[in-house]
Amino acid sequence: MELLKTAYEVFMRTYPGFLEATLFTLQITAVALVLGTILGLFFALMKISRSKVLQTIANLYITIIRGTPLIVQIMFLYFGITSLVVLSGFWAGAIALGIHNGAYIAEIFRGAIQGIDRGQREASSSLGMTRGQSMRRIIFPQALKRSIPPLGNQFIITLKDSSLVYIISVPELFAMANREAAQSFQPLETYLVVGVYYLVLVMIFTFLLKLYENKLDVDK
Amino acid sequence: MLKCSNIHKSFGDLEVLKGIDLEVAPSEVVVLVGVSGSGKSTLLRCFNFLERINEGSIEIDGQVIDPKKQKLSAVRAEVGMVFQHFNLFPHKTVLENIIEAPMIVKKMNKADATKLAKDLLEKVGLADKADVYPSKLSGGQKQRVAIARSLAMEPKVLLFDEPTSALDPELVGEVLAVMQQLAQEGMTMVVVTHEMKFAREVANRVIMLDEGRIIESADPKTFFENPSNERTKQFIQLVD
Repeated sequence: MELLKTAYEVFMRTYPGFLEATLFTLQITAVALVLGTILGLFFALMKISRSKVLQTIANLYITIIRGTPLIVQIMFLYFGITSLVVLSGFWAGAIALGIHNGAYIAEIFRGAIQGIDRGQREASSSLGMTRGQSMRRIIFPQALKRSIPPLGNQFIITLKDSSLVYIISVPELFAMANREAAQSFQPLETYLVVGVYYLVLVMIFTFLLKLYENKLDVDK
Repeated sequence: MLKCSNIHKSFGDLEVLKGIDLEVAPSEVVVLVGVSGSGKSTLLRCFNFLERINEGSIEIDGQVIDPKKQKLSAVRAEVGMVFQHFNLFPHKTVLENIIEAPMIVKKMNKADATKLAKDLLEKVGLADKADVYPSKLSGGQKQRVAIARSLAMEPKVLLFDEPTSALDPELVGEVLAVMQQLAQEGMTMVVVTHEMKFAREVANRVIMLDEGRIIESADPKTFFENPSNERTKQFIQLVD
């Protein structure tokens, strides 16, 4: 009980800074998701293409990204890119997180596209559509719908993983909590409060996702 | 209209078609029969290049089709196909299913495509279903929409791959009736089916495939009453 009381005090003292940091967290997550979705689509299409070269590139990307820790990727990109161009920690972090997500999202899209019944492609082919037309008009719209639940899951992971960019001093939510914990000598309360921030964000997102899924279900 | 010579097709080591020669005249209705595994569906799928033949040639409307040199999509636009499992597009309404290919492939404008689709729906008796999604239709209705969808491309030949095999018995009749009507209007059709009544009454010619070869080809009366091949006799006894 005592913990909750002091945690509440920490919350009241820190919320102006924490809310600002939350904005940072959301921004990083949003950039990472947009980039990750674009990369994911791109690499999914490469992986199911008929070109061996494109398949190999996509496989290489997915293997490397899935096979190394996100925190290593963040550090690598931060020190790698900033030695070439001037890039803020925010952008380095968001890009690293986007590239990381791209590999997982590529597999989500690929699975969904390949999961569409073969008859759909055969029917569109038999009507004279090209491979591209069939993909755009028939296969992908159905695959996208099926991707939404696993994509939502991936989005939640990204939101939480964004905390790792604290390591390159981006003033997002977790970095703020770290600083506050050290300065106030109240680490337990501070991490409890920041945990609740993440929990609430994820719950809001899950709720919005549910609304969207229900809306999609109306017709088919 | 459709002519194939010496078609061979293998899946791995298994040779499914062992030299098929067949010519289908304009407005002719040819029914392909045979036990499962005889190669009849594969042959049908070769006609619109869903399967690539290993050897032989296919001519459509007097033109030899070379898959390496020609755009197969353009060839397929002229050869319609109706599938056993309908393969309607579940994310599109009945009307959208039908206008899709004319608009995308033939670049027809939406008003014309819609008018065409409504006429075709009228023809297959589903004018009132234009705006519903396929999941709301019965199997027989789905198949009639699939036929309308194929017709919208105004194909020169229409292929039917066991169009009634996935239907409940009481829904078979409505699909066969539409097919019979098409035959009477002069559509060139190649039909793989187990409906012997349809073969008897609608076909101009019935062809029996066995182990990848044509073993009987005759008008329905001769085919059913006086077949020349022993295997055909057995088959007819079995199914009729």
